[in-house]
Amino acid sequence: MMQFRLEKRREPSKVMLYATPVAAVVLTMIVGAIIFSAIGYDGVGAVREIFLTPLTNAFKWQDLGVKAAPLIIVGVGLSIAYRANVWNIGAEGQYIMGGLAATWVALATHGMGGWWTLPVMMLAGVAGGAAYAAIPALLRTRLNVNEILTSLMLTYASVQLIYYLVRAPWKDPMGMGFPQTRRFASEALLPNILPGTIVHAGVPIAVIVALVAWFIMSRSVFGYQMRVVGAAPHAARYGGFSENKTIWLALLVSGALAGLAGMLEVAGPFQRMVPGFPTNYGFTAIIVAFLGRLNPLGVIFAGIVMAITFVGGEVAQTTIGLSSSATGVFQAMMLFFLLAGDILVRYRLKRVAPQGEARA
Amino acid sequence: MTLNRRNLLKAGVAAAALPLLGSRAFAQSEPLKVGFMLIGTVNDNGWNFGHATGAKFMKDTLGDLVAEPTIVENVPEGPDCERVLRELAQSGHKLIFATSFGYGDYVIKVAEQFPDVRFEHATGYQRSDNVATYNARFHEGRAVCGTIAGHMSKTGKAGYIGSFPIPEVVMGINAFVLAARKVNPDFTITPVYISTWNDPAKEADTARAMIDQGIDVIAQHTDGPAALQVAEERGIVGGFGQGADMSAFAPKAQLTSIIDHWGPHYVNAAQAVIDGTWETGDRWPGLKEGEVQIGPYGESVPADVVAAAEAVKNGQIDGSFNIFTGPINDHTGAEKVPAGVIMTDAELLSMDWYVEGVIPPA
Repeated sequence: MMQFRLEKRREPSKVMLYATPVAAVVLTMIVGAIIFSAIGYDGVGAVREIFLTPLTNAFKWQDLGVKAAPLIIVGVGLSIAYRANVWNIGAEGQYIMGGLAATWVALATHGMGGWWTLPVMMLAGVAGGAAYAAIPALLRTRLNVNEILTSLMLTYASVQLIYYLVRAPWKDPMGMGFPQTRRFASEALLPNILPGTIVHAGVPIAVIVALVAWFIMSRSVFGYQMRVVGAAPHAARYGGFSENKTIWLALLVSGALAGLAGMLEVAGPFQRMVPGFPTNYGFTAIIVAFLGRLNPLGVIFAGIVMAITFVGGEVAQTTIGLSSSATGVFQAMMLFFLLAGDILVRYRLKRVAPQGEARA
Repeated sequence: MTLNRRNLLKAGVAAAALPLLGSRAFAQSEPLKVGFMLIGTVNDNGWNFGHATGAKFMKDTLGDLVAEPTIVENVPEGPDCERVLRELAQSGHKLIFATSFGYGDYVIKVAEQFPDVRFEHATGYQRSDNVATYNARFHEGRAVCGTIAGHMSKTGKAGYIGSFPIPEVVMGINAFVLAARKVNPDFTITPVYISTWNDPAKEADTARAMIDQGIDVIAQHTDGPAALQVAEERGIVGGFGQGADMSAFAPKAQLTSIIDHWGPHYVNAAQAVIDGTWETGDRWPGLKEGEVQIGPYGESVPADVVAAAEAVKNGQIDGSFNIFTGPINDHTGAEKVPAGVIMTDAELLSMDWYVEGVIPPA
């Protein structure tokens, strides 16, 4: 019998770094097909509908773009923060605050907007997200409160703020009492960039954000600071990089991008603020950031993969009657395999002679 | 079948012939594909279960005229539902039921892109040439539940777990307390809105908080049996099933239930599409038509209370009793409906005020 042992690599393997996300996706498809077949579903069909149909059916591409855009924008921000070992878990809250800030601009300028409305909404969204992320930054740098807890808990507070605003001060006068704002005026709605589809301006913006972030992270002092503080905090301190400054930057940048995504969602697909605005993009983007290897370019692909599972999950429901929970199972499996596979980046499997044979 | 060249060839020929077969089959009479979009899961044993049961009723009744109904679960009220609607329309569904209030904007939007597909939006108010709305007069059932609560509550205080303060929900709260106050003039009801249709944890937490405040009857306008389970566990007077009979979850606490029987409506709508007679409009049947039904009464409900509840039920069926008959005061005590006047459907469908006895939420 063969036996294996984990052996630490001298340096993390470059090959494994990029191979494990791909392997995670492939393994998810294989294991998913086996599991769903074993419990009596059409497992191969499920994998086909969830992972392939969204790609092969041209009607679905627009959906992928629209679903992936916010995931990519939020995921890019998170990947920058996580690089610096700053664990912003509250992107969902920052996304909500960005959406609310943009909504405020849209409602305040209703009926008197112009070409400037969208840019101002965008600034408000970015500012709203960044401001909300500033709270955990302040608590962390001044009082040394763990940002994982504060950013996560602030998310729930922001959800309640939506409920409050759409029920009373911002309620649509024509909404039959339903808690939602009025529909935004046309100047406050994102333009559609491909006629006949639902692809809005947020889709190219997402790609541009990822490219710019990649350039900054790999080519600028800011990017170097983020990476070095995350990888080697002691060395960074010797090098003169302030830890507090890094925490501030990481939270503000990730919060600003989450806020931008919130603005694009409310001005794009939603067209008004509703209680259903929080759709877990902020949490899903955590998976996206890791699946993308905390690299802005990788995040583009990871965002698309996650969008495929969402869109495909619905296809599987309509075509083969697979329960909606299946999508969650596939997404969770993907993250599980990715994290499990990560061990291969730092360790390698080494074949060792079995003890019995060695003695003989 | 082993994979060799000959078999591959056979498969290839068969695949090439498939489109021919397909178009021939379509030319005959293709069963109508009907899609259902749900906000929760079909096993919530409440609202969504009711719609899924209706879908099955439709299939059982119409047989080969309709294809196996397509049910898409857990669709949020937002842009995601627009995608699901398009997916259903593009995959050949010619009749699509959207069964939650918040789908409204998106149903109208997608319906514009698919003029040959009929859409029906449950509990909504926006219609177009190919978008109809339908609902059930749940408030008639609420009046029955309120009568029971008025008789049985010891504290005279009921709680009402609501989703959003939309007219449909407000109407139900008002019908409940109006009926209860006919029995016990001091009866009060405290609504709490939890901003979701289906969140068992939140529903249960709300129910616990209500019980801690001396409330001994709980009604809910959310989708599942969570509040009833808490009522059972805490041993209060009881609660009511909503959308379906929930006695399996609370055999002692469920006093009765309001059962939504969507099946006949789904049969009629599908038949109309098949016959080419489908028209837009708003359909709002209730107890009389059997779309709203009252489930079995719980063991703890005494015979005289059952009789009182049945009287309210039968009065609404034969038209001799309408819970929204004046005099009705609002929660501040100001008269809103003069004595003898019955509120119109239009007034009910835009109801945004509480009757006397409701302790309005902050």
